[in-house]
Amino acid sequence: LKSKKTTGDIILTAVIYSTMALMLVVTLYPFLNSLAISFNHADDTTRGGITFYPRVFTFRNYQTIFTNEKIYRAYVITVLRTIIGVATGLLFTSVLAFGLAHKQLMGRRFYTLFCLIPMYFGGGLIPTYLLIRQLGLLNNFWVYIIPNLVNLWNMILMRSYFQNIPEALEESARIDGARFYTVFMKIIFPISTPIIATICLYIGVFHWNSWFDAAYYVIKRTELKPMQSVLMQIISEAAYAERIAASAGGAVVDMGNIGRGKMVNVRSITMATMIVTILPIVMVYPFIQRYFIKGIMIGSIKG
Amino acid sequence: MVIPSIIFLFIFCYIPIYGVLMAFQEFRIGDFPGLSHWVGVKHFQELMIKDPKFPQLMRNTVVISLLKLLINFPVPIIFAAFINEIRHPRFKRSVQTISYLPHFISWVVAARLMFDFFSSDNGAINDFLKFVGFIDKPIPFFLRGEYYWGMAVVTDLWKEVGWNSIIFLAAIASIDAEMYEAADIDGASQVQKMWHITLASIRPTIVLLLIFTVGNLLNANFDQTYMLTNQMGNRVLLEYADIIDTYVLRVGIAQTRFSFAAAAGLFKAVINFALLLGANMLAGKFGESALF
Repeated sequence: LKSKKTTGDIILTAVIYSTMALMLVVTLYPFLNSLAISFNHADDTTRGGITFYPRVFTFRNYQTIFTNEKIYRAYVITVLRTIIGVATGLLFTSVLAFGLAHKQLMGRRFYTLFCLIPMYFGGGLIPTYLLIRQLGLLNNFWVYIIPNLVNLWNMILMRSYFQNIPEALEESARIDGARFYTVFMKIIFPISTPIIATICLYIGVFHWNSWFDAAYYVIKRTELKPMQSVLMQIISEAAYAERIAASAGGAVVDMGNIGRGKMVNVRSITMATMIVTILPIVMVYPFIQRYFIKGIMIGSIKG
Repeated sequence: MVIPSIIFLFIFCYIPIYGVLMAFQEFRIGDFPGLSHWVGVKHFQELMIKDPKFPQLMRNTVVISLLKLLINFPVPIIFAAFINEIRHPRFKRSVQTISYLPHFISWVVAARLMFDFFSSDNGAINDFLKFVGFIDKPIPFFLRGEYYWGMAVVTDLWKEVGWNSIIFLAAIASIDAEMYEAADIDGASQVQKMWHITLASIRPTIVLLLIFTVGNLLNANFDQTYMLTNQMGNRVLLEYADIIDTYVLRVGIAQTRFSFAAAAGLFKAVINFALLLGANMLAGKFGESALF
C-alpha cells in the first residue's frame, strides 16, 4: 500500500536530499582540503587554490614530521595513554557497573546514590587542581590515567546494559560453582560486546583527544606531552609565523624547534600533523558505529 | 568488588567538594583544605559587584548558550527526522557515518579546520560567496569580535549536529511501525506523518534533553572557546568570546587567585543547578515527562 505523493511531499523530499548533500560537502570539505594540502608540495601550497586534491604531489611533509623526534615521542605518549587508559578505565567502570546492576549487592542503594551525586555536583577546577598537586600527580604520566579511571556517565550506560541480562544465566554458573570474577569474565563479558565496544570507543576518543591535563598538570616535563599538545603548539606557532610572513610577503618560514632548521611551509606541516593525529580515530569509529548506536539506544530508553 | 571504584570516586569526586568552603575563605597554598581564614561572601562581592569583567562574561556566556539553545538544539531533531525519511539504506548509512566524523576529533583540530574553512585568505566559504556574487570583499569571520557569537554557533553546529541526532534517531527507531501504516490507510501525506507521528512520538526525549541543556546554560563550551580564541592568537575576540569557564581558568591558575576562582565556579554551578530544577519543574507542570 503506497500513499499518493502530494506536492508537499515532493518538496519535502527535495529539501531532505539537498540538505543531506549540502551537509556531506560541508562536513567533508575541511578534512579533504587538509588532506590535499598535507600531500601537496609546500612551495606550491603558498600559491593557494588547493581544494580537494594535491596539485604537486609529495610525501615530504610527512617525512618531515615522521623524522621529528618531538612528534614521534608525543605520538608514543598518546598511544600509551590511550591503551592504558582504555584498559584501566574499562576495568574500573565495568566492575562498578556490574556490581551496581546486581540486586544482591549489599548497600546497593547507597552506592548508587554515591555515584549519582558527582554527576551533578563537583568541586570545580581549582580544588581538583590542588588535589592533583597534593597527590604528587603533577608532571607525572599517571595524571593522564588515574583521575580518569571511572567515568560515571559511561558507568550508568553499562549498568543499564547489564541490568538487561537475564539473571538465570548467572545463577546457573553460580550453581556450577563459579565465583564472581569467573562469572564476570567468562559469562558477562562475552555477551556484552556492544556496550564494551561503545565504552572502549568513548574512553579511547577521550584519551586520544585530551589536551587539558597535559596543558595544566604536566608543565615541566615536555617529554610527557601528548600529540594534542604538540599539535596545539605547532598550530599557534604556525599562526604566528603566518602573520609574520603575511607582513614580510612570503609564507616560507623557519619552523624553529619543529622544522629543525628546514625551510618548510608551516601550513603543510600543520596539516600533515593534523591528519596523522585524526587518522586512527577516523579509521576506527565507522566499525564501531552499529554498536554505539545500540549502546546509546539502551542507555536512553532505560537510563 | 565495587570498593576500589568507590574509593576512587571518594578521592576524585568527593574530596574536591571542599571547594565549596574555599569560596567563602581566603585560601593560601599550604593551608589545610577547608581550614583557611573565613571571609564570608567577599569573593562573591568581588566577582559580581566589583569585577569590571563580570557583566561582559555573563553577557557572553548567556548569549552564546541561548543562541545554541535556540539553534543548535532543534537542528539535530530536524536532522534526525530528515534521516528517517531517506529511503536508500546505503545513502542513509553514509550520511550517518560522515555526520558523526567531526564529533570524534578534538577542538584543537576542529578549530584549525574551521579557521581555514572561514578564512578570508582563500577560505572555501569566502571563495564560494565571492563566486556566486554574494560579496565583493572576503568577510573576516574570525577577525572581528562582533562575528564571534555567530561563529560559535556555526562551528558547534558543524561539529555536533550528526552526533546529537543519534539519540533522537534511537527514539525514532522505537516508534511503532503500525502508526505509520494506520496513517497511510487514512491517506496521510509524508509531511503530515513526519509532524504528527515522528516528531510527536519523540517528544519525551526532546523534553528530557531540553531539561539537561537548560541545566547546562552557564557552560558555554570551554574547549571550543579556548581553541577558537587563545589557540589562534585571536585575543581580539575575547571581548565577545570570554566566558565564565575561561575566566575561572585564567584568574584561578594563571593568577593563582584560588578562592576567587572557586567562588566564580560555585556561582556558575549553583545557577546551573537552579536552572535544571526550574526546567524540570516547568516540564512537570506542563504535563511533560520530567527528569525526577
